[in-house]
Amino acid sequence: MVLFYLLEKEFKQFFRDPGLPKMAIAFPVLMMLVFPFAVSMEIRNINLVVVDSNRSTASSELIRTCTSSGYFNLVDVCDDPRRAMQLMDRNQADAILTISSDFDRLLERGEELPVGIKVNTINGTKGSIGAGYLTSCIRRFQAAQVPASQTMTATDGRMELSAKYYFNEYLDYKKFMVPALIVIAITMLTGFFPALNIVSEKERGTIEQINVTPVNRGIFILCKLIPYWLVAFFVLSACLLIAWLVFDYACAGSLALVYLFTACNILVTAGMGLLISNYSDNAQQAMFVTWFFMMVFMLVSGIFTPIASMPDWAKAITYFNPMRYYADAMRSIYIKGSTLADVWTDALGLLAIGTTMVTWAVLSYKKTT
Amino acid sequence: MATIEIDRVCKSYGAVQALNEVSLSVEPGEIYGLIGPDGAGKTTLFRILVTLLVPDRGSARIEGYDVVRDYRTIRSRIGYMPGRFSLYQDLTVAENLDFFATMFGTSVAENYENIREIYAQIEPFRDRRAGKLSGGMKQKLALCCALVHRPTVLFLDEPTTGVDAVSRKDFWNMLYRIRDAGVTMLVSTPYMDEASLCDRISLIQKGRIIETGTPAGIVAKYPHRLFGVSGMPAYPLLKYLRQCPGVLRCFSFGSEHHVAVDPARTSTEHLQATLEQAGFRQVVVREISASIEDCFMELAKEDQ
Repeated sequence: MVLFYLLEKEFKQFFRDPGLPKMAIAFPVLMMLVFPFAVSMEIRNINLVVVDSNRSTASSELIRTCTSSGYFNLVDVCDDPRRAMQLMDRNQADAILTISSDFDRLLERGEELPVGIKVNTINGTKGSIGAGYLTSCIRRFQAAQVPASQTMTATDGRMELSAKYYFNEYLDYKKFMVPALIVIAITMLTGFFPALNIVSEKERGTIEQINVTPVNRGIFILCKLIPYWLVAFFVLSACLLIAWLVFDYACAGSLALVYLFTACNILVTAGMGLLISNYSDNAQQAMFVTWFFMMVFMLVSGIFTPIASMPDWAKAITYFNPMRYYADAMRSIYIKGSTLADVWTDALGLLAIGTTMVTWAVLSYKKTT
Repeated sequence: MATIEIDRVCKSYGAVQALNEVSLSVEPGEIYGLIGPDGAGKTTLFRILVTLLVPDRGSARIEGYDVVRDYRTIRSRIGYMPGRFSLYQDLTVAENLDFFATMFGTSVAENYENIREIYAQIEPFRDRRAGKLSGGMKQKLALCCALVHRPTVLFLDEPTTGVDAVSRKDFWNMLYRIRDAGVTMLVSTPYMDEASLCDRISLIQKGRIIETGTPAGIVAKYPHRLFGVSGMPAYPLLKYLRQCPGVLRCFSFGSEHHVAVDPARTSTEHLQATLEQAGFRQVVVREISASIEDCFMELAKEDQ
């Protein structure tokens, strides 16, 4: 009876809040419709300047190969390397392709191609990916030239390499980000709101009025958490539905497993939220501390940069990061179709951190009051 | 057996001693006032009594139950109205009342008789959100919420702070009716003029009880004769009075200065003449009887 009334009160307050219900709707929509495009790592529109000292049919063929790839904007074709550098200095060029004056002759003889690539790496990702695209364009050009040049003997020892991408065949970055964005949305929602809610009861003094009633504190806290869990599941469902309707991405694995991992993650964030609210006196403090941890969690979660490429000390930190486990599991299940047998270590990691957080939160809650 | 029994309670916040050996006892069915300025330790004492805070030393019992050991029993027997309005502003009047009734395991219908008189005044606004009520209405709602589970002891921490004079009078009349229904009350207030409305009072200053008794009893114990002196200009008059022979203490009291005197060394006529001679205009000196505030100033002075 008390539980029911406390829950009813929480829901009344949630729906009467001028911002919260709108947030619960806007959050998944924004996360699924805007961010998959915005946080895409695909590089397009690389500004290319070509220094063509050869001006032959072969050189213009190479330029055509590059521009037809769709990744490059041809800014200028000039003769003077200094002018190309100037353009790069003015930030109008991201990459310079230099074709030497004896390009067509060397190509005919089947010798090494004297082609130079310079890239602007102020934005490191754009630079290195741009260089990669450029190299592959040149290779493609070279491959196309081989049968025409009829110097088959020279290419005898060459290896044919072909790459195949599993689970995300076309390296569609959006597909890669959808489960990661769900991870971020759920963690933010369940991390911030319960903590802020409890702290605001502290700020307004209403928690004291509750504390002088015979109501059990555990029940009171539980009633703070349940509404946000329901909201989290609503957001998760909305995200999955939008991904399916708009992008035609379906979860490759079991949906039940996705919900199970989300429940595990909620345990962690709820524990963390409670812990933070125990040690904060006002909403500002709680907000800032939560924000700080969210930021750290997100940056070393493997969502944006692979954990495998981190230095050892950073890798060690990720083992204490609940988002690492949740993100890994969600991506594996959603994209690859992993089963619990494949991702049980992630479940274990989440449960271990979650139990620690909740235990600590409960112990510190008793101590502070 | 006393309803509230406090025995040498101490509480410190770091280096600040909020309560220092506070002892008092409240008899069944009385309105007991805790009178003292802001920061005297009133709220700390309330928080210990309503089981929100644990004392460092000493003990307190409410209806025989220890505030630390039997806090669960106490919580269902007491009502607490904190100094700051702390009901849910985003719930309506009726929802707040329902909510707190349920938290105490009862219902509004069961206890309607208990709160009817007060609730009748705010019932027209039952669907209005608590945050949108006026100050006096909020206070009535808070009182209803504190009474909805039929407590036998009621703790009111500065219930009249920030409430206009008419509402204050109303509020005290409500308290008398609650007392007549058999509820014991501990009320704190920084307003000395409310002290005389209580059955018994304790004056508290810097965490220590400096006097306890009935309002009349405390006033009767005032040790000096008291003159009310007015004149122009007021502030130099105060300074002049302080160095007059026979004047023990002098405080500004609104438009008048209250002057404690040694009757052997001065009289109203003598003081009047002295002041006029010193060049003060419109001088009026009259003998007055002490108020609780005069007693408080006297006791606070001794305490230092």
